[in-house]
Amino acid sequence: MQKLRTTMIAAAALLIWQGCANAQMHHQHGSEAACDEPDLRCASKVTPVFASDGTLWLAWMAGGRISVASSRDAGKSFSTPVAVTDKLNMDWGPDARPKIAIDRKGGIALAFAIFRDKAFNGQVLTTRSNDGGKSFAAARPITGNNESQRFEAIGFDNNGELFATWLDKRNRVPAQQASKKYDGAALFFASSKDGGATYSDARMAIDNTCECCRIGLAFDPSNHPVVVFRNIFEGGVRDHAVITFADSATPGEPRRVAVDDWQIAACPHHGPSLAISPNGTYHVTWFTNGKARKGLFYAHSRDGGKSFSAPSAIGDAKRAPSRPFVLAGPHGLTMAWKEFDGEKTSVKVMTSGDDGENWSKPRTIAETADASDHPLLVTDGRHSYLSWMTKADGYRFIPIGDES
Amino acid sequence: MRRQFLAVALFLALLMPAPAQDSETQLKPFGRGSWRELMKAHAGRPTIVHFWGVTCGPCKIELPQLGAFMKEQSGIDFVTISADFVPNLPEATRAMLQRSGLSLAENWIFDGFADRLRFEIDPTWQGDIPRTLLISREGEMTTIEGSAEIADLKQWSARQLAVKK
Repeated sequence: MQKLRTTMIAAAALLIWQGCANAQMHHQHGSEAACDEPDLRCASKVTPVFASDGTLWLAWMAGGRISVASSRDAGKSFSTPVAVTDKLNMDWGPDARPKIAIDRKGGIALAFAIFRDKAFNGQVLTTRSNDGGKSFAAARPITGNNESQRFEAIGFDNNGELFATWLDKRNRVPAQQASKKYDGAALFFASSKDGGATYSDARMAIDNTCECCRIGLAFDPSNHPVVVFRNIFEGGVRDHAVITFADSATPGEPRRVAVDDWQIAACPHHGPSLAISPNGTYHVTWFTNGKARKGLFYAHSRDGGKSFSAPSAIGDAKRAPSRPFVLAGPHGLTMAWKEFDGEKTSVKVMTSGDDGENWSKPRTIAETADASDHPLLVTDGRHSYLSWMTKADGYRFIPIGDES
Repeated sequence: MRRQFLAVALFLALLMPAPAQDSETQLKPFGRGSWRELMKAHAGRPTIVHFWGVTCGPCKIELPQLGAFMKEQSGIDFVTISADFVPNLPEATRAMLQRSGLSLAENWIFDGFADRLRFEIDPTWQGDIPRTLLISREGEMTTIEGSAEIADLKQWSARQLAVKK
């Protein structure tokens, strides 16, 4: 009997241990975040922006919510977070993240996407705070159309008008009704004259773009919105294009950044980045796996996107360089990207003091040994900083250095 | 001794969760070392490994085609690996595999630091999905980026099965 009891205790212990192991596995399953609370330390995506008074604002996605907090000491300490939303089914796609923009008066505009059904169709929601981030209006859809929108980008121009652009799948409906094949999504846009409280009717800039990559948005010195995105060129080639708007309601012609010749019917989940220097030079970084070139690349245009320099490779090709980001800062350009050596992810940075003709030798600025967000760069007009959320080491906000 | 065995068996049966139904799609967690394990398990057998994810548009179109293809094939090992970045999606993954007729494939799901898992499979792969690997009996690997043409898979499979004879 004693033997039976011992056996049963051992069997029960085994089952309990297995149960714990399963629960542990379930908890950790595929998670990019360290924990499930709405706190910054649990965030999977963090987006920074500086207000004109030098306050750093973060918007992040954690525990199924969007929250914001601010810092007056360049990220050393943060205000008590404010929950912008209740728990929602957030768009967790690798290139999705909450967007935050601040006007000159301190009004805060936010945009983010949720999955609105089990088929992972998205909906872009927007909200605004008029009281310096103490409270936010109820989030509202950016468009009345109910098909699918994801990968929004927002920014204030010099006149305080908010420009928004996103990838929208509404055109697949008439295509399906006509039994026609529909590729990708369309680049849509709208603008807001009241700081993001209401938006103009959505309009299309171009149809049949890639549907799963982030969009780069910046303004040229004449206040024109400029958008870089992964397009679908003839033959299903997913290379990058740039569109310069004549004004917030008038898109220009798409111009190809480079002929990488990446013909692929897939979601690269890996969008480009755009910065514009005070003199009007466009700087674009991107990832491709095309026939012409593979890896991360940089090119610039000194004629408003009509033509681009020959793409130059970025990073160590043996270390899977990814997620490039370019910033036009007070002392020139900074570029950041990730590399992975099989164990750790490093963020590399390099700088250019001559508007992208020559770049410094890349150096490692931060490392982590588990999942991490994309590295982002941000400036307060005096210094440039790396903003990087990591699962193992928390949120990192690191000054790039005087050379930037 | 026999009574002891029966008692333990009964005790375990009471404690165990209800057994999975036949129709339930089994998903194995794909972690560190899983790729080596998978390669070892299929060594010497023609194998198709398909990477996909529930939030990937082209995958939604391709998956049912692969399900129909798998049903027609015998002698080719068929493995799917959900390599999506979206967390907490085992249920959605199971549902999509089931709808696509892939419940009986060998199904895995990324579980852990995705960059490292991808690096173990192919250091140059940045995570674009769908992606299909055709692995011959001799271990020769052909990568198809993006949606695969089913006709190509059929041709490859026929060649593999012909070698056997």
